[in-house]
Amino acid sequence: MSEYIVEMRHITKYFPGITANDDVSIAIRKGEVYALLGENGAGKSTLMSMLFGMYEPDRGEILIDGRPVVFHSSNDAAALSIGMVHQHFTLVENYTVAENIVLGKEPVKRRFGLLPWVDMAQANQEINALSQKYGLAVNATDRIEDLPVSARQRVEILKMLYRRAEIMIFDEPTAVLTPQEIEALLKIIEDLRSDGKTIILITHKIREIKQTADRCAILRAGRLIDVRNVAETSIQEMADLMVGRRVSLETHKSPSSFGDTVLCVEHLTVKNEQRFDVVRDVSFSIRAGEIFAIAGVSGNGQTEIADAIAGLMNAAAGTIRLNGSDITRASIRERASSGVAYVPEDRQKTGVVLDFTLQENLSLRKYHRPPFSEHGVIHRDQVRKYAQTLIERYDIRSGQGPDTCVRSMSGGNQQKAIVGREIEEAAALIIFVQPTRGLDIGAIEHVQAHILKERDRGAAILLISLELDEIMALADTIGVIYRGELQTIAPADGMTANEVGRYMMGVKEA
Amino acid sequence: MKKIRQGLARLLSGPHGMFWGSVLSVILTILTASAMLLIMGKNPLIAFNSFLQGCGFVPKAKYGGGGGMLGDFTHFLSYLTPMLLASLAFIAAFKAGLFNIGISGQMLLSGFLATVLVAYNKQLPSALSRPLVILVGIVAGGLLGALVGYLKYRFNIHEVVSTIMINYIISYLTGFFINNSYVDLMTRTSRPCPPGARLTLTKVVIGGVNCVIPMGLGIAALAVVLVWFLFSRTTFGFELRAVGENSHCARYFGVNVKRSVVAAMGISGMLAGLAGVTYYLGYTNTIIPKTLSAMGYDSISVALLGGASPLGAVLAAVIVSIFHQGSNYMSSTVGVSKEIASLITGILLLYASCVTYVRAICDRFLQRETHGDEAKKPEEVKAS
Repeated sequence: MSEYIVEMRHITKYFPGITANDDVSIAIRKGEVYALLGENGAGKSTLMSMLFGMYEPDRGEILIDGRPVVFHSSNDAAALSIGMVHQHFTLVENYTVAENIVLGKEPVKRRFGLLPWVDMAQANQEINALSQKYGLAVNATDRIEDLPVSARQRVEILKMLYRRAEIMIFDEPTAVLTPQEIEALLKIIEDLRSDGKTIILITHKIREIKQTADRCAILRAGRLIDVRNVAETSIQEMADLMVGRRVSLETHKSPSSFGDTVLCVEHLTVKNEQRFDVVRDVSFSIRAGEIFAIAGVSGNGQTEIADAIAGLMNAAAGTIRLNGSDITRASIRERASSGVAYVPEDRQKTGVVLDFTLQENLSLRKYHRPPFSEHGVIHRDQVRKYAQTLIERYDIRSGQGPDTCVRSMSGGNQQKAIVGREIEEAAALIIFVQPTRGLDIGAIEHVQAHILKERDRGAAILLISLELDEIMALADTIGVIYRGELQTIAPADGMTANEVGRYMMGVKEA
Repeated sequence: MKKIRQGLARLLSGPHGMFWGSVLSVILTILTASAMLLIMGKNPLIAFNSFLQGCGFVPKAKYGGGGGMLGDFTHFLSYLTPMLLASLAFIAAFKAGLFNIGISGQMLLSGFLATVLVAYNKQLPSALSRPLVILVGIVAGGLLGALVGYLKYRFNIHEVVSTIMINYIISYLTGFFINNSYVDLMTRTSRPCPPGARLTLTKVVIGGVNCVIPMGLGIAALAVVLVWFLFSRTTFGFELRAVGENSHCARYFGVNVKRSVVAAMGISGMLAGLAGVTYYLGYTNTIIPKTLSAMGYDSISVALLGGASPLGAVLAAVIVSIFHQGSNYMSSTVGVSKEIASLITGILLLYASCVTYVRAICDRFLQRETHGDEAKKPEEVKAS
């Protein structure tokens, strides 16, 4: 027996254009919680995908229990008791919990000693027993489509347990959970550890590492920076190691001073394409200089509120007023020119035209007005000049300046371009939906600083985010949404993250 | 060898990669066609020279009475004109993300209506009938194109489906009317368009050589410039391109996507209508009932060979027209059937349609190369 249950030695992995892992060596002891910390694109998921057999390393070797192994597929890894919970769950929606768990490894009986058939009764029994043993509350006969995200995650964990996994990899498991659900998950992870399982936790949230992990490997730009004992390392230290410079963990927010009401939404109801009410009877208002944040678990109607205000979705009922005038039936462009700027959730699908140049994308809000065009003819020198100003002002990095194809730019710089373009409108209302999703810490700081600056300028800000930390750091007022209904609206300093979390799960009386 | 490979990859994935890709397709086509001709025991050099001779680019050995290089060249231009307009029609829709394969039908309807409504009307003076022919062509094509756009806008019917259907409807409907009322009993096609309304002047003698003058060529040249200007300089063209590239984003920044779809199909139809009148009332001067012109489909390939740019389409249309127009002479000098020309065009389009894919491969190849260099660097550092 080796001291380490998993060893990855000198792992190097190339992808077209980037070195995802560069000579990374880690060693994990049996029964510990080992965290992999790093920003987006640091190479942590790639490293673990190789341990789970989804990729083969270009260089280096993997040892399990001291024996070198080569995985050609994740089945090879599963055979050696390695399991993984992916960020995006791999469940069949219209199967039951038990069917999903046994899929590919069904308990088989033979009818008349010949015909094989899946013994679901036994599967259900086994799974209920497992879920009781580990405190993973799920019902074996529920269908996946009826279950909330947190329960689906428990199904994924049960799937690993059913396959007798000893080494369990969790890829950003808390990204989709509320604070209470995160607590519950971390408790489950601790239980698994005390049962002797080895846990590998991929995350960029340092607080969770601090809470559960024994050791932590820090990756930056594909390289292993350091491996620390979590107990002896401060949160600040880990953050600095992850980013590679001193970072400020606090956002500096000036005291609020609110002006007149800018946006007033009353009894708004929005239907989706299936004629289902995704937003129900929502009312709120935002004043000048106020950041109004809507917190909620993904898919509870928050993006539809933003789309309805910007005009991308129709309001089925209710009114939307901007600076006193009714814009409920106004066209998208009328709303934009009367003072609605919008940083949309899906930046590549909605926020930019990927195959247009940077200068074309920066001019999306302006091209139809003088001096950028006259009588329908675009003045390209004006567009270019404007693009150059924005590139400097918002520190947008690109290969060929205004002529860069936006597809070739990094996500962070695409977002900087969108944020810059929308801020430049000097709009009365700016809607930010998930403005920092998938960005690295530098870009997050940049975007958040701009949001605060616009608030201090006197803009009304609607911030919709799934990151509760972000909402707690930026918001003046918080509204919590659950199944399309606003559960509560309260000043940010009057609520704790835990209270917000309870509302997010639909508990009315927090 | 490696240098050549890298250079080629860099050329193809560079900013003018589409252009070089098309050039490469032409070269490969010539090589492939030569191989075919060699297998048939023919001399490819003579064959290709004959294509050029047939189009008046290179003088023939001898000319018959009234024949001449200029005459061949003007006949070539007469074919080039509708081809160019038809490929511009495809480009206008394609830029807005629409695949107009109904160009044949739009051409046929405009040609038919212009013939029946204007050309057969003997009271009209030719000073009036020619502009009217053009007008009818534009209006008929434009309305038919806009109808396809409207079907997509209102009922979400994909333009490929609706245009295929409409092609059949128009083909049989016009065929029915021609056979019943307008047929020439000798040729079994529609009665020829009277010279006063025809957009190609015939029997023009220049320096003792019989020439034709395709008056639509000026319109085609103007259309090239207008289409280029529309899509690269105007706000309207900018919006259409945005709808084509990413309609979600276009909607987000305030473009009326549905109206743009109707407009783009309308413009495409207008150009197809122009192609129709210059084809049926210029080049052929008659309509074969129940037959869609191959040109409507060839124009798609011409547009793609030209990288969906108006200027590229000019070059591509010239090349494809040479193979088409020169095929008769080539057939007589080399002694292979003239269908070989269609075969060559087919091969050309096959190569051209691979260009985007090949460019993607070149990108990946270059990335791997540069990355290989990066990967070597650390070791070199260690070694030194």
